Order: sequence, then C-alpha cells, then structure tokens
Amino acid sequence: MNTYPMKLVTIVCEAYAQDTVTKLLNEVGAHGWTLFAVEGDGSQGKRPADIKEFANIQIEAVVQPEVADKLLERLANDFFPRYAMIAFESEVRVLRREKF
Amino acid sequence: MDILDAIHANLLSPAVLFFGLGLVAALTKSDLKFPEPLYVALTIYLLLAIGFKGGVAIAEAGIEKVWLPALAAMALGALIPLWTYPVLRFGGKFSAVDAAAIAAHYGSVSAVTFIAATNYLKAINQPFENYATAFLAVMESPAILVGVVLGKMATKSKGGSDFSSIKTAIHEALFGRSIFLLVGALIVGWLCGKPGMDKVEPFFVTPFQGVLALFLLEMGTVAGRRVGDLKKVGPFLLAFGIVMPLLHGGIGVWLGKVAGLELGGATLMGGLAASASYIAAPAAIRLSLPDANPTFYLTSSLAITFPFNISLGIPIYYEIARWLYR
Repeated sequence: MNTYPMKLVTIVCEAYAQDTVTKLLNEVGAHGWTLFAVEGDGSQGKRPADIKEFANIQIEAVVQPEVADKLLERLANDFFPRYAMIAFESEVRVLRREKF
Repeated sequence: MDILDAIHANLLSPAVLFFGLGLVAALTKSDLKFPEPLYVALTIYLLLAIGFKGGVAIAEAGIEKVWLPALAAMALGALIPLWTYPVLRFGGKFSAVDAAAIAAHYGSVSAVTFIAATNYLKAINQPFENYATAFLAVMESPAILVGVVLGKMATKSKGGSDFSSIKTAIHEALFGRSIFLLVGALIVGWLCGKPGMDKVEPFFVTPFQGVLALFLLEMGTVAGRRVGDLKKVGPFLLAFGIVMPLLHGGIGVWLGKVAGLELGGATLMGGLAASASYIAAPAAIRLSLPDANPTFYLTSSLAITFPFNISLGIPIYYEIARWLYR
C-alpha cells in the first residue's frame, strides 16, 4: 500500500492554552487535530490535574512539513514565553495524503 | 463570647474540619484524589444552591433593600485592586503584570468563603440578611476587569498579541462558569420566589452541608498539594495573603454598616471583601494576562488566603463587626 511522508506535531501544554493553540492550528493550515487530557511534571512544576488550573492537555496534529515548520515557529515565538508548553515534531507516514 | 471562643467555635465546624482532613491527606501523601469532573460538579451544585437561595431571599426582601449595599459591594470589589496593585508592585517588587493579576484575585471573591461565613453565623445563631448572596454575585467580575486593564496598561508597550485581548477578559469575567451559574441561579431564584424554593428544597437545601463538607475535603487536598509552592512565592506574598484580608475584612464590615446592613450582613460583606477568588479570576487572568505567573496568584489565594479566612478570618471579621455595632 502507498503511504506518504507527513509530520506529526505534538504539543503538551496547560489546559488554558487550548483555545489559542487550536486557533493557531487553524491559522497555519492544519486540517484537523486530536486532544486528550494528560498529567505530568516539568520545569514549570507538577501538573496533577486535580483542578483545571493545573490540568494538562496533549494536542496532536498530522500536517504537511511546511505547515509543521510554520506551526513550530509560531509556538516558539508567541506561546513558549507565556504558557507551560512543549512541542515537537516527528516523521509519520499516512494513507490518503489529500486529508492533510 | 470573646475572639478565642469565636475562633474555637469556627474551627470545630464540619466544613473546616474536613478541610483540615484534606490538608492532612495531601501532606501525608495519601492517595486520596477526587477526579477533576467531581470537583467541577460539586462547584456547580454549590453555586446553583447559594445562587438560588439568594434569589429567593431577594424576592422576599424586595429589591429596594438590596440595591444600595449591592452597589457598595460592587464598588469595593472594583476599588480593591487599585490599592493592592501598588502594594504588590512597589512593596513586593512584583512585575507589573504579576501585581495586576494578584490584585484582580484579591478584589474578586470566593463563593466558598462566603458559604463558610454564612455557616459560621448560623452556628452561633447570629441572624443575617439572606440576600447577601447578591453581593457575592456582583463582586466577582469588577475586580477581574480592573486587574486585567491594569495588567494590559503595563504590558502594552511590549506589543499586544491578539490571543490575550481584553475581549477575552470581558467574556471570561461575565460568562465564566462560576459567575454565569451564580448570577443565573440568582435570577431563577428571584423569579421563582418561595413557591419555587419549596419544590427544590430537598435537593438544594437539605444535602447542602454534606456536599459542602465533601467539597472542602477536596479543597483541602488541592491546597495541601500547593504547600510546596509556598517556598517559591516568598515571605512577602505570604504576609500579603494574611494582612490584606484582615484590612479588607475591616473595610468590608465598615462599608456594610454604612450601607445599612445588620451585624450579620456586615460580617458577610467583610468576609467577601477579605476573600480572594480561585475559580473565576484564575481562568480569566490566565486567558487574558498569560504573561502573569500563575504560581503567585494561585498559591496566594488558594494556599494562604482561603485557609486563613475559613479558619481564623471569619470569626475575626465577626468580632470586628460586633465591635463596630456596639
């Protein structure tokens, strides 16, 4: 079966950043995303997710490589200084290239 | 009854004891943990119940009795950030945006502190105006808006970004879940009046104390998990979180008296002025002033001021009121 190279961008951030991050995903041209609640610990302290103020989410989007570049750049410039957040990209292969 | 008796009576109420139990659970690293949706559900119940009860009380007392003290409460809420901001900025050497964020929290109010205060008054058989819930409802938003404006003025030069707009702040301050539920239930209760209360009483009134105990057990664990952050916020904020409530409590009681409230109502106004928000304000501030450090405002309102108010603060405001009403 034919598969095509794409980038998977993973963003782990505080729950309060959800709306602004998903808005950004739209802006840079991601065609979809998946979100789930997670817990963790990092440089900005434990996030035990007991109340929303300390909840963490993970957002994943499969995008074209140039969209991934744009997305990571915007995240680094506008979001990292403000929110508790990490982001990284990885190589994935997809079916149905036109979906992304 | 002197002040020590007053404090003693308060510390032995189920609500405060359960809060203490929650603290112990967190400090001893017990695996007790409420799922986040339960915390949200308990908050919804408590806000609906007190909003509804307050609305019914307004219907019974008549709006002409309520509007003046409510206006006074609203003004006090809006004014508190104006003097807490310089104290934090120049006394505590906080950055402008952090000072504005903390100031917004202390001007805004905590519904559970208010409930604890009404419980305390009931326990010592001190009558109070039931419509005081209206003051709680109108005090929540103004300080948040004032704090956000203060913070925006300070950070404007750095180039504003679209995702932290003032519009977000206004939306969150007026339609955030806590203010929406409280004001909504207040209006529903007001429209229903006493006949409506008879219908929902078994759900909103009878189990209320038990739900409150459950919620405070949870709050104890939430506050207890933040104890480690106390080291990060420093001694200034620690002192601020106790001294400011005492000052604001005194001002609130006095203002309540000036606005024509009875002793009980003035005590509640004092408790409201002294309390710091930890539901409405953090959400609004995080979205509209993302540059402010949440550790400062959450730790001070959740782990310092809230425990102080429900244990020692409320009986102290009551004693201040008794002294003023002699």
